[in-house]
Amino acid sequence: MSTPDDVPNGKRLAASQDTPDEERPASVRIRRLLMEQGYAILCTQSQSQPYGSLVAFAASDDLKTIVFATPVTTRKYRLLTECEHVALVVDSRSIFPSDMMRIEAVTATGRARVVGTGTEFDCWAGLLTARHPHLAAFVRSQSSALVCVEVVRYLHVCRFQEVRQWVPGSAS
Amino acid sequence: MGARQRFVISLAEVRDTDEPLVGGKAARLATLSRAGFAVPDGFCLTIEAYQRFLTSAHLGDMIRMELGRKAFGDLRWEEIWDASLRIRSAFAAAAVPAEIASEIADAMGGFPLETHWAVRSTAPGEDSSQRSFAGLHDSYLGVMGFTPVLDAVRLVWASLWSDAAMLYRLELALDPGRSSMAVLLQPMRNEPVSGVAFGRDPVEFRADHALIEAVPGLCAGLVDGEVEPDRWRLKRFTGEVLDYRPGTRENDGPSLPLLEDAHLVSLSKTLGNVESLLGWPPDLEWTGRGDKLTLLQARPITSPAASSDDKKAYYLTLRPGMDRLRVLQHRVADELIPELEAIGKRLASEPLEEWSDEQLAAALEERLAEVRRWRQIYRDDFIPFAHGVRRLAVYYNDAVRPEDPYEFVGLLRGEPLLAVRRNVAIAALANQVRSSAALKDLVSRAALETGHDPQIWKKGLLEQLRRLPEGGSFADRLAALLEEFLDIAYNTERLSDRPDLILHNILELARAAGSGPQQPLAPAGSLPGSVLEERLMEAVGSDRHEEAREVLALGRISWRLRDNDNLLLARVESQLLRAVHLAAGRLERASRLERGTRVSENAAAVLIEALRRPSAGAVMLPAAEESEKAIPAAALEETPRQLVGQPAAPGMQTGRVRRIRTAEDLGQFQAGEVLVCDAIQPMVTHLVPLAAAVVERRGGMLIHGAIIARELGLPCVNGVAGAIELLHDGDIVTVDGYLGIVTVGAPEFDLELADVAGNTGSRESRKGV
Repeated sequence: MSTPDDVPNGKRLAASQDTPDEERPASVRIRRLLMEQGYAILCTQSQSQPYGSLVAFAASDDLKTIVFATPVTTRKYRLLTECEHVALVVDSRSIFPSDMMRIEAVTATGRARVVGTGTEFDCWAGLLTARHPHLAAFVRSQSSALVCVEVVRYLHVCRFQEVRQWVPGSAS
Repeated sequence: MGARQRFVISLAEVRDTDEPLVGGKAARLATLSRAGFAVPDGFCLTIEAYQRFLTSAHLGDMIRMELGRKAFGDLRWEEIWDASLRIRSAFAAAAVPAEIASEIADAMGGFPLETHWAVRSTAPGEDSSQRSFAGLHDSYLGVMGFTPVLDAVRLVWASLWSDAAMLYRLELALDPGRSSMAVLLQPMRNEPVSGVAFGRDPVEFRADHALIEAVPGLCAGLVDGEVEPDRWRLKRFTGEVLDYRPGTRENDGPSLPLLEDAHLVSLSKTLGNVESLLGWPPDLEWTGRGDKLTLLQARPITSPAASSDDKKAYYLTLRPGMDRLRVLQHRVADELIPELEAIGKRLASEPLEEWSDEQLAAALEERLAEVRRWRQIYRDDFIPFAHGVRRLAVYYNDAVRPEDPYEFVGLLRGEPLLAVRRNVAIAALANQVRSSAALKDLVSRAALETGHDPQIWKKGLLEQLRRLPEGGSFADRLAALLEEFLDIAYNTERLSDRPDLILHNILELARAAGSGPQQPLAPAGSLPGSVLEERLMEAVGSDRHEEAREVLALGRISWRLRDNDNLLLARVESQLLRAVHLAAGRLERASRLERGTRVSENAAAVLIEALRRPSAGAVMLPAAEESEKAIPAAALEETPRQLVGQPAAPGMQTGRVRRIRTAEDLGQFQAGEVLVCDAIQPMVTHLVPLAAAVVERRGGMLIHGAIIARELGLPCVNGVAGAIELLHDGDIVTVDGYLGIVTVGAPEFDLELADVAGNTGSRESRKGV
């Protein structure tokens, strides 16, 4: 459908300064990727069996938290409630589908927890629906769960194999 | 940065090349105005304003979600209507961006404060000689003040996504996503007469004839088909009148023609001049006569070849106006439904079994004719009248602007539906069985029998029941249930001939814990109807209370009858089947028909002939219609995990699947199972109180399954493509009526963790997890 997009998903955000990309700190590049992309692969596990699923996410301003919603009937919900250790992968393949060397990827590792009702729910639900307004009913459905991942570490990958780590809250 | 977006353009500034920006209606009016024709001044909101609105309110994603649930071509009309209602509600609630609102305010500032505005749709590139969107998009007349104008603009934008407009685009293979909408705002002209004029006779499309129609006051009634106009057929250019047919007036008395000869000549000349300017014979909308003649619209006449093929006329019947609904209400509620009920009762009381073959043939003929007649009435009157409830939906949503576009359903709760009455009657029988061991024992034994002659078997059962101390009232109630509510057919079987099926259901209800008479339950968190009614009255204001009460009453009757008409029609169909079965039985006994032949109503004509010609020999029946759909090859190889449909009734339940495809399946249904079927028809509704949840292939928030599930507080997901083919009896499913998801199986890694020689993760493995 050709109705205009209203979120910058899949589009390269204009650089705010003239600094070449490769000279930017990992935290800046991670932030940009998380703001550009609206979807992540969520990695969960159970009984040694890994599992991946696509989720629509939003990240907190300090990048310490990533929030998404899931129906409670899903496998990913079951797995993340069984094991809180999860990872999320965000990448820019959609922007550079034919140039592997320009693709960036971020892996966030951390711990997932389901957010209960109340002020905290409203806060995180607000962050998620501000990023994905069309998911408002989904996020607030009685059969959905709102999940916060407290990010322990980010790994930023560029130029195929160049990897840098960043712990949110620390200097890059 | 690109060029500055143009949100508002004065009609005087619109150029011929601006059609993609302002739509055909506005562009042509601008052309006419520049050529010296009288056209009301005004301004256009461009498609850039529409797109900016869509972007700022994130409505693009919302539309994509609504229409992307399945292939657009697979959406049934009811699902498109539902999507359209939700889109309309979202548009009505969204803020118009400040920059657009400000430009509208500036443009309105050039006109007197008390101006009444016509706020009209003008979609680019959609009217041509091959197709016309006239009437499919909305216009609002007589709108006064800035806020009401903004409200009307939002609704005109939303009408791009009206059910009728989407269906028409589907018909024309136009991508709904490529559509856009501009809006034309003009001060209203209050002339004593308005009308339409065609440069060619649009019916016979004769090159030498023109046609003019006129109505008193505004043109809206004429365009909506609600007012019968004065009509003149003229010779083109000369204006010579060939024939005149007076229209109807409110006072019904004799009245003078609305146009005099001089007015007709002037209009005729205008038609010719517009044709010379635009290059095609026009379909004009005009107001005022003589020197007050003003043009409101000019578009190409849709050619007869195009209009006879397309279904636009039908799609327009999907949105009847109040006048049409009033007529339908009287016809349906006061005449047709009582007549249908009386016919069903009369047919049921006829002692066909005692009649001669000739009399039976005559009865069959009559019943076949009645079924055909009532099915036509169902299409022509019952379905259009069902729109009364949709009219109420839009009326309530426009006035109250609720967050949930289906809040209005609360206004319909507790209506005395026949299906609910039947369920109460069945629950009462179940309570009796539960309280008497002897009754339970007899009913349990009876449920296992299927006599060769259902009438004799039924009589025997009722006699046995009456011998029990508590059995008399049970027998009476059961007989009444069979006669009043179960004289309906499922494929080739009459449910009243199969009391064993309903006895199974009664036993199941008795077995299920807490089975009292099913009272309509309000879903958790829903507001009582009286509160919603107060909310509606407060929102419309005291000036419109009478109007609101009429819309409400009409909606409630439409809702109730929509359910009842199905049951009453099903009884007439069942009575046809009764005669068919009787005729087939006689022919079998005469060795003219093979014993055990399955006969359906499509055999009626052959059976009538055979009964009337006793010496004609063996009877060859037409092949029975195959009701079972072929299972797609993919369904045999794939294992579904999540099926997506529409969240039709809230709640979440897990249970085992029971598919209902034949009458036999009805008797198999166990309490706590998930009812999976093509659609909840009258012959299935009594199972719903036993079910944990409902899944239907057919979609819609206001179809039977959704109505009854919501009344009983059960989760329902409908519009699930492939529900029957992909789900199997015994599958464990979780029905999420909040999100419209049916999850199959439990979420364990049964395949990944199995040893190599063991579990294959096939369909069999799903049952145990």
